[in-house]
Amino acid sequence: MDGYAHIDFSTLDIGDSLPPLKKPPITKVQLVRYAGASGDFNPIHTDDEMARRAGLKGVIAQGLLIMGFAGQAITQWIPKKHLKRFKVRFTDVTYPGDIITVKANIVKKVRTENEIQIVCEIKAENQDAQLKLAGEFEASLPI
Amino acid sequence: MADKSKQGLSLPSYRLRIERVKIKEFVEAIGDPNPIYVDPEAAISQGYRDTPCPPTFATMAFQEFTGAYFKAFEELGIPLEKVLHGEEEYEYLAEIYPGDTLNCTMTFESIVEKTTKSGKMDLITLHTTFNNQNGQEVIRARSLIIERK
Repeated sequence: MDGYAHIDFSTLDIGDSLPPLKKPPITKVQLVRYAGASGDFNPIHTDDEMARRAGLKGVIAQGLLIMGFAGQAITQWIPKKHLKRFKVRFTDVTYPGDIITVKANIVKKVRTENEIQIVCEIKAENQDAQLKLAGEFEASLPI
Repeated sequence: MADKSKQGLSLPSYRLRIERVKIKEFVEAIGDPNPIYVDPEAAISQGYRDTPCPPTFATMAFQEFTGAYFKAFEELGIPLEKVLHGEEEYEYLAEIYPGDTLNCTMTFESIVEKTTKSGKMDLITLHTTFNNQNGQEVIRARSLIIERK
């Protein structure tokens, strides 16, 4: 087992929401680690002075890190192998200290003979309900 | 502004080898404790051949390790400081495992000028296909890049 009780979509319907994933506050160290892991060495993510020169109040998180949080949530809700499509748009910058919560709700559900196809809206917000990322994902879950 | 004559053009393909330790670093940076990404036994018990890559792992194919984004922006004539990442989309066709070698091909799918309240901008859609060493297409990525003017 991967330790997660994946969602049973047969009991859910359009409009239902999935259990939110609340992440710990983002740290500057995390941005450095994600830079090293992903190869995104843009200094606006790791160097406050460079970030300020770019007109920001300090370093900002990599957008793909926030998408990574959303990916974490998705693969707690459904097994990774059933994920077919995942799309986001980046709506705002995220700063260290922000506490991100990933939320989703079902917008489409089609049951065929051997699978349930679902489309969910997904979003990531900080502690002040500022939207950082919004998008959708699609999965085919065998029955 | 972005060189619109490049629309439809593909950049030379490049190869990316998937390393187990990079997957571990990646999920640890995200703080994703899902054992299927790091523990082969956990992954196999869930029906994978080995530890799969997490959903956003393909991003590393575009970054400084490969220089793919730099090459794309250079080819399009866009200064890096004008670039914003607007959207990212992945289509998953098969799993990616440690030891795989992916052949990555980036195409400039569309280049569109848009006028908004905050001024003119170019919307550039980059489409990247990833094929593994067996020639199997594993993932398709689409990135919407915004060039501020």
